[in-house]
Formats: sequence, structure tokens, C-alpha cells
Amino acid sequence: MDDTTMVWIAILVVTVATLFTRLVGPEIMLRVKLTPARTRFLEALSTSVIAAILAGFLARGSLREAVALGIGALVMVTTRNAMAAMFVCIAAAATWSAVLG
Amino acid sequence: MTVTLTGKGVLAGMRRLATIALLVFPFGFGYGAAAINAGMTPIEAIAMSALVFAGASQFAVLDIWVQPLPLLSLALITLVVNARHIIFGAALAPDINTLPRRKRILAGLFLSDANFADMQIARRNGDRDLGILVGGGLVMWIFWVIGTAAGALAGGATEDLSKFGLDMVMAAFFMTVMIGGLRSGTPALPLIVGAIVAIVTLSFLPVGWNVLAGAFAGGIAGVLRRG
Repeated sequence: MDDTTMVWIAILVVTVATLFTRLVGPEIMLRVKLTPARTRFLEALSTSVIAAILAGFLARGSLREAVALGIGALVMVTTRNAMAAMFVCIAAAATWSAVLG
Repeated sequence: MTVTLTGKGVLAGMRRLATIALLVFPFGFGYGAAAINAGMTPIEAIAMSALVFAGASQFAVLDIWVQPLPLLSLALITLVVNARHIIFGAALAPDINTLPRRKRILAGLFLSDANFADMQIARRNGDRDLGILVGGGLVMWIFWVIGTAAGALAGGATEDLSKFGLDMVMAAFFMTVMIGGLRSGTPALPLIVGAIVAIVTLSFLPVGWNVLAGAFAGGIAGVLRRG
């Protein structure tokens, strides 16, 4: 098999694997009876996964990421404006990179 | 409340995430450039982004993108890095599974971090139109693919995105979703447990699996919290 064909097969493999992860969650839950406890589990899961992604990002990052997110969080808490908080966070990280490298 | 998936919802989802999608463009550009440097042609790089639409796994597989391509390793890395999609799908299942099969598949096709988080905001506000999920994913997909095409056609030249703070886009968005959720009554315990477990397990689990561990621990905390 030539290299070009292998590349397209590899793209197909990555595509199918990704599609599987996107579609299998609801399919699994079709086979599971939703009790009140399981509903609470899914509700908590939907928020804790975001917290876990964010915490992992912070743990792998440096002080720059923590400070930028902290400043953004402060803006979010005080103004309740998500877009302003995001832009302040991004600007803080850019400023850190420009000043401290 | 009735769960739907409407065109109106799709448009609303596209509008809601349009700004985030604009900020995804440089990441797409970076991926296109990196893919060319890894030996892909522009068409292959663009096809990868259009078909896969999962930045973290696309960057991850570039690390082992050498001939002969290791198909099994590519599949496993993709599954591990994208395993959080399974959690997203399971969390949205009570809504998604009320839809007919074709719409269920459509709802999952563009599932990603940002539109999943945005759908949580919509659900908190009582909006159960999964078109918001699809539209949010669609607008992100459009800018991801355009960014990839630009980066691939530019021939591999790229800037360090962290210089402009753009590496913080997703984290900043997640931060606003979390704080918004806490303000509107989302229990803090699952978030705290999820975050702690994700950090603790980072030292011995591969990146990606620690997120699964944190998410599951947070889910269990949510069940135990109310006994």
C-alpha cells in the first residue's frame, strides 16, 4: 500500500475513533435506566467535567495561566460579563508574555 | 420542558459562540502549519480538520505521524484524548435521547468542549433546544477548518499563540461557565471534587484520563451530596 493511501486510511481511523466518542455517550445511556440518583450523577458530571478540564489545564500550566484566570475570574464575579472576563483574561496572559516572556 | 432541535436553535447557537469561534481561527492556523511540517499535504490537513474537528487529538496524533503510520496507536491516542466526549454525551443524554435517531446523531456530530459548555448555560436558563449545541459546534467547525486551510496553504509558517494570550481562550471560557453556574445555583462540591481529583491523578494518569477521573469523582460527589 502506498504512503498516500495510508495517510487517507489514517485520517479515516482518527475520524471514526472521534466519531465513536461523540456518539457513544447517549447510546450507552439508552441502555441505562435513569433513576433519580443517576440523574443527579449526570447533572454533577456535566459540571465537574468542566472543572476537571480547567483544573488539569492550570496544574500543567505556570503562574502566568493562574494569574490570568484569576484576574478574569475577578472580572466575571464583579461584572457578571462573561465576554469582558474572557478578554481581560486573554489580555492579562498576553501582557504577562510580553513583559515577563 | 420539551427538548427540540430546531433551525432557529442552530442559528442561536452559531450567534452565541461566534466570538469564541473567531478566536479558534489561530488555533486552526497553527494546526494547518503543524500538519504541513509533519508531512501532510494541504488537502490532507484540511480533510483531517473537516472530518475530525477535535483539535487536541489532531495535534496529539501529529507526534506519531511518521510512515509507516501506526494505525492502532493513532486510534488509541484519539480515543484517550477525546474520551471526555463520551462524558459530554452521557451528560446530555437525558435531552439527546428524547430526539429521533437522526437528530440524536446530528446533536453528537459537532460535540466539542465549547458548545457542550455553552449548552450547559442554555439548559440552566431553561432552553432545551439542542440546535444551540449543533449551531455552536458548526460555527466552531467552520472557523477551525478555515484556519487550518489558511495555515496549511501558508506553508507551515506560524507564530507562538501564547504571545497573544490565545492559548487561554478555552480556559477563560470554561472559567466564565463555571462562575456563571455557581452564581445560578450549581452545587460547588462536585466542581471542587472534580478539580482536586483531576489534579491529583495528573501525576500518574495520562493527560485526558485525569479529566475522566475528575469528572466521575465529581459525579459521585453529586450523588452523595444529596444522599
